[in-house]
Amino acid sequence: MAACLLPFIVPAVITGFIWSLPGDPASLICPPNICGGTAALAERWNLDGGPMQFFLGWMADATTLEFGNSWRLHQGLPVLELLKEAIPTTVSLISVATLVIMAGAVMATRGWLPRRLDPVLRFVGLVPALVLALAGAAAIELTFGFGSFSESGKLARLLIGAAVLGVADGAFTGAALGTRTTFETENQSRYVGIAVLRGEQPLANTWPNVAPSVIGQMRARIIHLLSGAVVVEVVLRIDGLGDLLWGGTLRQDFGVVLAAATLFASVSAVLLVIQAVLETLVALHVRKAPSGVRVSG
Amino acid sequence: MSFKHAIRAMTGLAMAVVGTGATLAYFEESIPMSLNPLFAKTMADHRAQELVFDRLWFNDAITNELRSRVVQKYQIAEAGRAVEVTLKTGVRWHNGQALTSKDLCFTVKAMLDEGTPSPVADHYREFIVGCDTRGPQTAMIRFNRVLPKPRERLGFPILPASEFTSTAISPDLQFSARPIGTGAFNGKRGLRMVTFDAFANTHHTPQIVQMQLQEGGDPLVQTKTLINNNVQGIVVVPPPQRPDLSASDDVSMKSYDLRSWWYVSVNSNRGALKDNRVRQALNMVLNRNELRQYSIGVKPNDKNSPCEFISGPFIPASPYYNVEVPVLPTANLAKADSLLKQAGLEKLGGRWHSGGQPITLRVGMLASLDHEAPDLLSQVANQLGAAGFDRLTSKISADEWDNTVMAGGSDFDLVIGKWSFGLVEEVNELFHSKGRQNMFRFANAEVDQILQEYEDAVTDTEQRDAYHKLHTVLNRELPYLFLWKLDTKSAWRTEVRGNIVAPYYYFTEIDSWSVEG
Amino acid sequence: MNRRVPLVVAGACFAALLGAAFVAPEHLGNIRPDLALKGPLDVFPFGTDTRGRSLWDYAAQGASVVAIPAFSAGIIVAIFGIVGGLLRCVGSERVNAMIQWFSEIVGALPRMVVILVVALLLPRDQRSLFPLAWTWAILAAPGAMDEAASVAERLGGSRFVEALRAHGYSASRIFLVHVVGFNLRPVVVRQGAETMMHVVFLEIALSYLALAENQPSFTHADSLKSWADLLKLGYPSLIPSLDYHSGHALLLALGLLGLVAVMSIAIGRSARAR
Repeated sequence: MAACLLPFIVPAVITGFIWSLPGDPASLICPPNICGGTAALAERWNLDGGPMQFFLGWMADATTLEFGNSWRLHQGLPVLELLKEAIPTTVSLISVATLVIMAGAVMATRGWLPRRLDPVLRFVGLVPALVLALAGAAAIELTFGFGSFSESGKLARLLIGAAVLGVADGAFTGAALGTRTTFETENQSRYVGIAVLRGEQPLANTWPNVAPSVIGQMRARIIHLLSGAVVVEVVLRIDGLGDLLWGGTLRQDFGVVLAAATLFASVSAVLLVIQAVLETLVALHVRKAPSGVRVSG
Repeated sequence: MSFKHAIRAMTGLAMAVVGTGATLAYFEESIPMSLNPLFAKTMADHRAQELVFDRLWFNDAITNELRSRVVQKYQIAEAGRAVEVTLKTGVRWHNGQALTSKDLCFTVKAMLDEGTPSPVADHYREFIVGCDTRGPQTAMIRFNRVLPKPRERLGFPILPASEFTSTAISPDLQFSARPIGTGAFNGKRGLRMVTFDAFANTHHTPQIVQMQLQEGGDPLVQTKTLINNNVQGIVVVPPPQRPDLSASDDVSMKSYDLRSWWYVSVNSNRGALKDNRVRQALNMVLNRNELRQYSIGVKPNDKNSPCEFISGPFIPASPYYNVEVPVLPTANLAKADSLLKQAGLEKLGGRWHSGGQPITLRVGMLASLDHEAPDLLSQVANQLGAAGFDRLTSKISADEWDNTVMAGGSDFDLVIGKWSFGLVEEVNELFHSKGRQNMFRFANAEVDQILQEYEDAVTDTEQRDAYHKLHTVLNRELPYLFLWKLDTKSAWRTEVRGNIVAPYYYFTEIDSWSVEG
Repeated sequence: MNRRVPLVVAGACFAALLGAAFVAPEHLGNIRPDLALKGPLDVFPFGTDTRGRSLWDYAAQGASVVAIPAFSAGIIVAIFGIVGGLLRCVGSERVNAMIQWFSEIVGALPRMVVILVVALLLPRDQRSLFPLAWTWAILAAPGAMDEAASVAERLGGSRFVEALRAHGYSASRIFLVHVVGFNLRPVVVRQGAETMMHVVFLEIALSYLALAENQPSFTHADSLKSWADLLKLGYPSLIPSLDYHSGHALLLALGLLGLVAVMSIAIGRSARAR
């Protein structure tokens, strides 16, 4: 139910937040003490009746995918066009970055990342996303020149952005070492020892117990990636939701911010549903009677 | 039949002329926020719009005389309270329709419409009251008073009536991203790039097929990209990058006169700054040579310096500049101390106090100016600190600058800024007690009277004399500590030929630009 | 496991950061172009920037910006984690549902938008990292609460508490010692330590973005420099074709981040279960 309501609650909360910003979008275009027409503009943009009126009006239009045009960020361009460009970009960015951190988690769990690599991983985790993104942006611009926004340039930005997101700010390191620690702690449990004595694999026994924790961790990491995506998209100049959110908030382009925030919330809602489904599957698996066990007597 | 052949031939010829040109890619300070001239806010906006639209009148980049590409003839009417304009025939909009007087009057009416929230239009509302068409190509523009030189004030771009349903024009219309003009190029704004496609017209013959504008990223990277020939130009080159580009044989540096001068505005309504002696002392505390050397990179003995000191609100080349008012290139801390003591301030523990309280000066600077004059804010603050003042420094965002500082609502003591002239070199709004750009509400009866003399002046000489007097008085009253006039530098590859850079609007002479090779 | 060593390491790192913050100059020094981009061997201890100013000032001012706010954010997240775990042990369906709702709504908010709004709301003279760090901590709290709650769930939740009550332990001992002290401690301290690192990264990102967008700083007074300025100065050294010798600034910045990371790891290690 939370997943269904998030795309409505989050834009409402965001409306409250951005309404509290100093000034208002109409005055930013045309300060009342300098020029006339501000009131007319505020009326056109439905800003003259308070946040509730604005939000309800926006919601009503949003149900028919009428998001209007951007007010300031990309003035005159339809918001829907901006979203159509941004959604697949951000989804691709986050998906590739998620694959990177999941790969780290799997490799660490399976023991394919030896402990002697831990200091290297920790050092890599130290590097902030900002540095790698700046270096990546410079490398792309020097390589592609003015064509850095061509299709191949954009693809390069996307791939570098995903790599940065997946590796920097401790993302990869945290996923790898955190998941390994979780499993190692669980492996110390008595039941695991008994399972090993029975000739079973530890992972088969620990996985159902740690799965909720790991799934929760992964969801938290993906949400963290979404936050990091804002920085990466802005620095690497990738036209994604994060870039729209950042620029739109700074310029008080309410239409852009609400649309992008709603999509963000929808992504979170989807993740929530996926988490719930996975946890349910794990619970069902745990309830299944183990095979090959006989109760004597 | 022969008429159709003629049309086809002309079109083909036009296409051939346009088609033999090349593409020109360049980096701008920022991507234009709007391509609608009514909502131009930044210089990047003005420069981009110059490619798409024709202004009714403009200043020739070389001779500075007033010219027009769209006006056939004009006549002063109604004893100087109107001007009758006859437009040229054959000028086409980018949508193929013909430019007519209806478009000119539509533009005027849009600017006068209270439903058009345009700071640009607001300037014209002060003296234009209406426009009537007198024929398909003739229109009468009316003023609220006699204007001695009306053409100088009619430098607005013309908008197409056919693209709008009402004279109340909103900034978020698609026109802001997909404008239609009569200029040399048809512009389209994307997310990261603006593309300008050449449009052959009777009054424009661009030699470049397409221009592309992108926002420049890191200045280091921009410089390397230009040297590596992956871009053809950079419109604004920050001072730290100029030596590298000047040293390159493939790049030529061009001066870009923004008609701008830099200043430190003083809040003469606040605390100790109310006393003129304190303001005079602050003027003597600043070591302009050092400020210029460390932030712009120009040394005192450099020849052909792009940065000249000023002592008043005009550029030295202006006829309004009073050369008899001297500049203060270096500091004079002893005299500054003496003035401050005369004003009743006490120096305790190395810090100046007023009424027993230490003086802390709140100094602000428009954040974007840090690219042109790196660390200017911290240098000014350090000089004030060395003179015995505590200080709090802040950068100011563009929105806060427009909506709070320029609106007279800020709580700063000193604000570092840059003032750029457009076509008309007027400063009344800055210094008149009721001026809308008088950021600290400076009020001085003598200044108001001089500004009124300027308004009432009928001849050039009278205007010049009024402003000479103003220069003298402002140097005494110091609502601003005047710093310098700074030419910006652009860098273009040597393959770009005929690239005359017009003052302020930049691309006014774009028809002469070409790319070789 | 000997906790003394990690505690000493964590304490030393924090003391180093606080010491640097304490001695940080209020304003940067004067410009000296003849000393531009000198390395640590030429200008001790860390070299200079493009204007000939010592990078020690950058390091110290940056420490003053991040040290205490990041630490406080870690504490806030740890407290939220403890609350989350304890509330799960209470075993109230209603409370669990309310926490779930809170977690989902807060978790779904785009964090950088919220952070940016808070930054823009701050009056100019009160700009600091504290409000942003605390906001980040609240936004990160659902994750910590979730993880702590699942640890408490695996303990047995309310049944665990009942069992200990049956053994005669008091409620405060059960919750504070057995639940928090013995079981939640490693999780909440790790979460707090991670948040501390995240806040430092957040500050760096926000400082750079403010510069890039021609905005006043979101996280500190404009007269101060942050570690983001070191990274911005140093990153061109990663691109050989730029031929820019600012690697010493990059190494300094990474070293400072390493200091915070070591502190974070040491705190986590000191709180591990035996």
